[in-house]
Amino acid sequence: MGDRMIKIKNGNKYFFRFTLNQRIQHISLASMVIVLVLTGIPLKFHDAHWAHHLYALFGGIHYAPVVHKIAGSILLILFVYHLIYISYSIYTRQIIPLKRKEGLSAAKILKLLLAQPLVPNLKDVRDIIGLVKYLLFLSDKRPEGDRFTWKEKFDYWAPFWGIVIIGFSGLIMWQKVFFTKFIPGEFINFALIAHSDEALLAALFLFIWHFYNVHFSIAVFPMGTVFLTGYLPEKLMVEEHYEYYVKIMTKAGLEHEILPPHDQGDHVPMKRVYSE
Amino acid sequence: MRLKPNFRFIFFLVVYFCPFLFIIPADVFSADIGNCLLCHKYPGLSRIDEEGKFRLLFVNESIFNKSVHAKVKCGDCHTDIKKIPHEPAKKVDCLTECHIIEPASEKKFSHKDVKTFLEKSVHGKIDIAGKSKKYVEDLPTCKSCHDNPLYRPLSFYKMVRPGISEAAMGRCRVCHKTDDFIFRFYNHITTRLHKIRSPKNIAEMCGRCHNDPNIAARHQLPTQVVSAYGETFHGKAASFLSERVPDCLDCHVRLGESVHQMLSHENQFAPTYENNKSTICSRLECHPKASSKLASYKVHPVFDRQQSPKQFYFRTFFIILTGGTLLPLMGIMFLELSRRLFPNLTFRRKGKGDGRPDDQD
Repeated sequence: MGDRMIKIKNGNKYFFRFTLNQRIQHISLASMVIVLVLTGIPLKFHDAHWAHHLYALFGGIHYAPVVHKIAGSILLILFVYHLIYISYSIYTRQIIPLKRKEGLSAAKILKLLLAQPLVPNLKDVRDIIGLVKYLLFLSDKRPEGDRFTWKEKFDYWAPFWGIVIIGFSGLIMWQKVFFTKFIPGEFINFALIAHSDEALLAALFLFIWHFYNVHFSIAVFPMGTVFLTGYLPEKLMVEEHYEYYVKIMTKAGLEHEILPPHDQGDHVPMKRVYSE
Repeated sequence: MRLKPNFRFIFFLVVYFCPFLFIIPADVFSADIGNCLLCHKYPGLSRIDEEGKFRLLFVNESIFNKSVHAKVKCGDCHTDIKKIPHEPAKKVDCLTECHIIEPASEKKFSHKDVKTFLEKSVHGKIDIAGKSKKYVEDLPTCKSCHDNPLYRPLSFYKMVRPGISEAAMGRCRVCHKTDDFIFRFYNHITTRLHKIRSPKNIAEMCGRCHNDPNIAARHQLPTQVVSAYGETFHGKAASFLSERVPDCLDCHVRLGESVHQMLSHENQFAPTYENNKSTICSRLECHPKASSKLASYKVHPVFDRQQSPKQFYFRTFFIILTGGTLLPLMGIMFLELSRRLFPNLTFRRKGKGDGRPDDQD
């Protein structure tokens, strides 16, 4: 595990975060979202003078909607692929071994699903409360994140929910003739509200909150590279995932090299802290 | 004798510009039999009228010659002007017979039929019982919607595009020898094959009255219908100058009839009558396979609590969701940045021995 989880390059440690498959999924998601925002936002703010220039970059009203639909279709296919990928991974790596070892029951499967690293849990609630206390100067201890922090879970589930809402409402509007064989045309009005407002929320969420956390935060600025390399530098691992960091370092037999948490001064190796 | 200020101004223009008459090339006047452009060709020609309004009296000849009235002499519409210089002209009556001969009937052309159409339409000033409608001053007259539109020719050679098809003109020249004649008929016919205005312009034109809250209130009409159209994909595409989306007239005018024959949505013969709506959406050019359910789509969505409560609350949910998600997260971002300025400051320091490796020393 240690070999894969920690990579040392030029004397610096890097911690494994994402597989190549996951990174390709993320880059596909990110690029499609950017195209969708660029071809969708001008329609929402069609009265703004910049909207016409932006739309013209994608071929104007005759071609930009086609680009939007192609990008939306790719994103929906990616979403279906992701669901299959996740289901297959859990099934082959967890459910089948569990079946062989203990046998299966609904309760066991539910417990297993709830224990997935990206599923929100009580530690996330404690971490949010701890972070608020820390930010309001009521505590000097920053919460020590596990493998995935509450922020990352938020970053995962917000687009997950967003794709369901935006994708389904987009499909209704695109294939309105088909859908209105079953549902009233008035639903297209609801679909437009959901599509447009949820997309604005998603865009603001991603470009403000997600970009801040992964690129523009002081610790990461000017750009996080984990989405390209799949590995997180030790400094950021300590800052965001200290609990998980300690776990990994201990498992790799590197206890003596564990750094102190980020709020304990500059990131100086423990040995040096002790020797001083 | 003292001249009125307006006449003094006209007198000044005439006296000042007459000498120039002799040095202007003759072809400038070729389309101007009445010599009106002698004065009206000057861009600065203007005055303040009796109502205090600024009136620009300049006529751009090159633009005018591309308009649908290019062949109509000035005096055909401005019938009260008999001499130069003239007194302030009366308002043009669009129903006047002009000297153009309508080729099918070979009679003098006039817009009189439009009046008959308009009287029976939703914009007519007389109701079904033959009584004058309320607030007739709000109802449109010719010039409420029309100015002097320019031709918008279409080319049908290999593809449809705006402009003149020289390939088609080449075919015309086989029989018709005068290019001016060919050009004018080509323009006339192809301009009529599509609308003279884009959907955006049409919506803006209708919006002059239908977006006016006072007019809407006086006639018990829904408010902001044109702005609401702008919030649909049709309206948004129109704002990006698409010509392929429906505008007001596509739905409110019966196929094969003129806009001047538009009926109220309460009239059972109107396409917008509740039971006829589905036939609009499923037209061959629009959504030919659409079921009648598509027609319940609100094309003028004003999502306020009174008119569309379900949509209003649905939208409110998303507004709250957006604010409720982003504001706390942005608050955290702001606090995180602030906290980095004072990393060791706290109002309540935690006790030692919290289990961290550095506490074990």
